[in-house]
Amino acid sequence: MGYQYVTEEQMQRLVDFKGAREYHLKKKRDKVDKRMSLSEAIAEYVQDGDIFAETGFSYVRAPLQAYFEMIRQKKKNLVGIGSPMSNCSYLMALGLMKAIHLSYIGVEMRGNDKNFARVIKSKQAEIASIWSHGSMALGFKAAQLGAPFIASKQLLGSDMLKQNPYVKVIDSPVGKDKDPVCLIPALFPDVCVIHVQKADCYGNAIIDGPAINDIALAAACRRVILTAERIVPEMAIRENTSASIPFWYVDAVVDMPYGALPGCCPGYYYWAREWWEWLVRCATPKQESVEDFFNYWVYDTKDQYDFIEKLGGIRFMDHARRLMEAAEANIDDSAVSFAYQEVIPKRD
Amino acid sequence: MSKIEPANPLEMLAYNISLQIENGQIVYVGTGLPMVGAILAAKTHAPKITMVFESGGQDPLEGDMPWSVGCPFTFRKSPMVQEMAPSFGQCALGYVDIAFQGGAQIDMYGNVNTSVIGSYDNLKSILPGSGGGNDIGSLTEKSVLVGLQTPDRFPERVDFITTPGYLDGGDSREKAGLIGGPVAVVTQCGVFDFEPVSKRMRIKGLNPGMTVEIAQACTGFELLVPEGEVPIIAAPSDEILETLRNVVDPRRVFTKMPGS
Repeated sequence: MGYQYVTEEQMQRLVDFKGAREYHLKKKRDKVDKRMSLSEAIAEYVQDGDIFAETGFSYVRAPLQAYFEMIRQKKKNLVGIGSPMSNCSYLMALGLMKAIHLSYIGVEMRGNDKNFARVIKSKQAEIASIWSHGSMALGFKAAQLGAPFIASKQLLGSDMLKQNPYVKVIDSPVGKDKDPVCLIPALFPDVCVIHVQKADCYGNAIIDGPAINDIALAAACRRVILTAERIVPEMAIRENTSASIPFWYVDAVVDMPYGALPGCCPGYYYWAREWWEWLVRCATPKQESVEDFFNYWVYDTKDQYDFIEKLGGIRFMDHARRLMEAAEANIDDSAVSFAYQEVIPKRD
Repeated sequence: MSKIEPANPLEMLAYNISLQIENGQIVYVGTGLPMVGAILAAKTHAPKITMVFESGGQDPLEGDMPWSVGCPFTFRKSPMVQEMAPSFGQCALGYVDIAFQGGAQIDMYGNVNTSVIGSYDNLKSILPGSGGGNDIGSLTEKSVLVGLQTPDRFPERVDFITTPGYLDGGDSREKAGLIGGPVAVVTQCGVFDFEPVSKRMRIKGLNPGMTVEIAQACTGFELLVPEGEVPIIAAPSDEILETLRNVVDPRRVFTKMPGS
């Protein structure tokens, strides 16, 4: 496979076990207050040319406001990875990202994301390797476990193996029968941003609801930024031994209520569902309309509070909070309706 | 004489999906019609199934239809949630009985393509990619494929094997080291299985009004036909249809025919 954008060094860095270990060995150990603003954290810890890992579940507890700040700061030459990685679509269309390690880009049954097809067809960006969710998840998990690779039964027999220079098929040396397995190498992205419900100022963090790959990614990545709905006293975490990310993995902590909007954040708010339908169905078909969309939602906003005003202000926020509370069965089902008007563009 | 509107093709699909599920099973569920089918099964013949989701939610309390597999309704008061790697690991471990997968192309051996039409070097169109499809289809004991059956979407060979079915047929799946495999295909025409030796797709039962000729005309390869009379699947009872319409998908998000 010849590549147009991704360099051999970037390809190797993703699986550089020793390099990641060296990097981690040199990280500061001090338990100090790591709070800073979102713009400072993104400016300092997300660097051009980084292998950038998406976290959460694309639109569930994903650090979307941090991605928007990366757009404002015009980051360049990023290589995207994540399982899933649906936000990489607009990061490619807007020119931040030139290559991806693909698992899945889409918003389930809301239609195909036309950005993705356009940037790949026009060679504005390229696919560096192809994975399933589970095989990539095992790569991150191997990194967290400190294991150079994990042998698995995923990917066998599939054409993804032909488009993935990292995964090797061997006969398992365990047992008597000849039994093919895939060797999935530990994956070490350079940086990720993780949106958590609670963190202390040092970086000990609590994730409520599905953690997806984030506990593994916090361990695997060379640099980790947390955005948190709430900064809590350290004792609030110690009381229940409830952290799933320890402070020494973390480089920066950002006090960031509403940081997962317009996605949902368990315990706090439900999706702005229409936003995603506008994005996929109305904005992605044309490059100009994607740019207009992000001009309106990102360049014309300075932070999450401006963003909330555009979504409908306190009325939107209160409704989103009540939908989440009802979905989690914390208020009565009859208190709120999940009916809404889907955004379906008229065809010419 | 039935008093209510007969099942539309999407409702028939959801009903046939529900019939693949047996009471007591652990079911890996995705969004869309498989979710509708699984909830319908739970509300009718299979009240004791347990649902698991790739985002990590499992055994949620009953609630509204999830907007996504990551929706809070997939982990509503769940006793626990799993990280992604162990969530798929459960399929390999033998703790998941049945899973569902859709695809843009499904071929005669049940291989599924959700990656690319054409090839990555010569793209006709690009699809979202595997997501959890490959994992579920590679690891789960029984997988059920769900698709709209047309000659383009049911070609002799998929353009790209995202999720292996029986690969080239015969014992090729086993030889590749894979476990489990597809047991059924559910489409607007009816339900198909795989002939045990060749592993080629075979008609198992047709929906009311369907014929072998129509099913074949909807297919890009030669369908195997069982010996003797081809079974016709009985239409769902009024009671089941009312459950589907009033309880499972009352806003008709997934079961309303486009344009109706």
